[in-house]
Amino acid sequence: MSDYGSTPPPPPPPLTPYSSAEVQGAPPPNYLVWAILSTLLCCLPLGIASIVFSTQVNSKWALGDVAGAQDASVKAKNFAMWGAILGVVINVVVVVIFVAGGVLSTRTGSGY
Amino acid sequence: MHVVSPSASTGRSTGRRAVLRPLGVAAVALIGVGYVANVDPNTPGHYPTCPFLAVTGWYCPGCGTLRAVHALGHGDLMTALARNPFAVVALGYVVVTWVLWLQRSARGRSLRWLAPPWVLYGVLAAILMFWVLRNVPGWTWLSPA
Repeated sequence: MSDYGSTPPPPPPPLTPYSSAEVQGAPPPNYLVWAILSTLLCCLPLGIASIVFSTQVNSKWALGDVAGAQDASVKAKNFAMWGAILGVVINVVVVVIFVAGGVLSTRTGSGY
Repeated sequence: MHVVSPSASTGRSTGRRAVLRPLGVAAVALIGVGYVANVDPNTPGHYPTCPFLAVTGWYCPGCGTLRAVHALGHGDLMTALARNPFAVVALGYVVVTWVLWLQRSARGRSLRWLAPPWVLYGVLAAILMFWVLRNVPGWTWLSPA
């Protein structure tokens, strides 16, 4: 430390090593969480379709197909969203029908 | 020779405002869990029956999730696993993903890594197998009943 002033300029700070993802830019989100939540909470095949497209995001990205991965990302998001919306709509319709029919209290409870 | 991540260069997703989205999602999720913990899904009439179950008579991969969340809300992991083991595992994954999202938001980073594709193919295959097997007689440990 005593000869600090006489040393050559310090080396530049270490660079973070490049991963393949950084070379290509940020990968598109695969929305797997939303796909799984849509499958779990909305019980519709749309959730499964969303998981299929989530999988395609990862597989296409791994192959370097950036455009394909982005396309699959959008589809994964849309299928999860429409699965959720359709699930809510169907459940609201079911509740309205049962309330209107007055049979809500007599349902056997094997729901979700 | 310096690395600038795309989100850092926009300056939009850095700082304290960036963590508001994950925190907001967590608040909504906790309200939902609190509701399901207090309004018992084991009581008939509290919630509508799964539409897939109502139409086909078969359990879907999500059947039992409300009762599993209710049990988790009361700290009863074994009952939660009995109602829907996939839901319990999936909720663990959701929590881990949320923590990583919060970290990325706080540090102003964008997503940098995707899991290898075989992991997702495995998840998809596991969910489809779970869907079938929980409807097979004798596999009651997978069924919500």
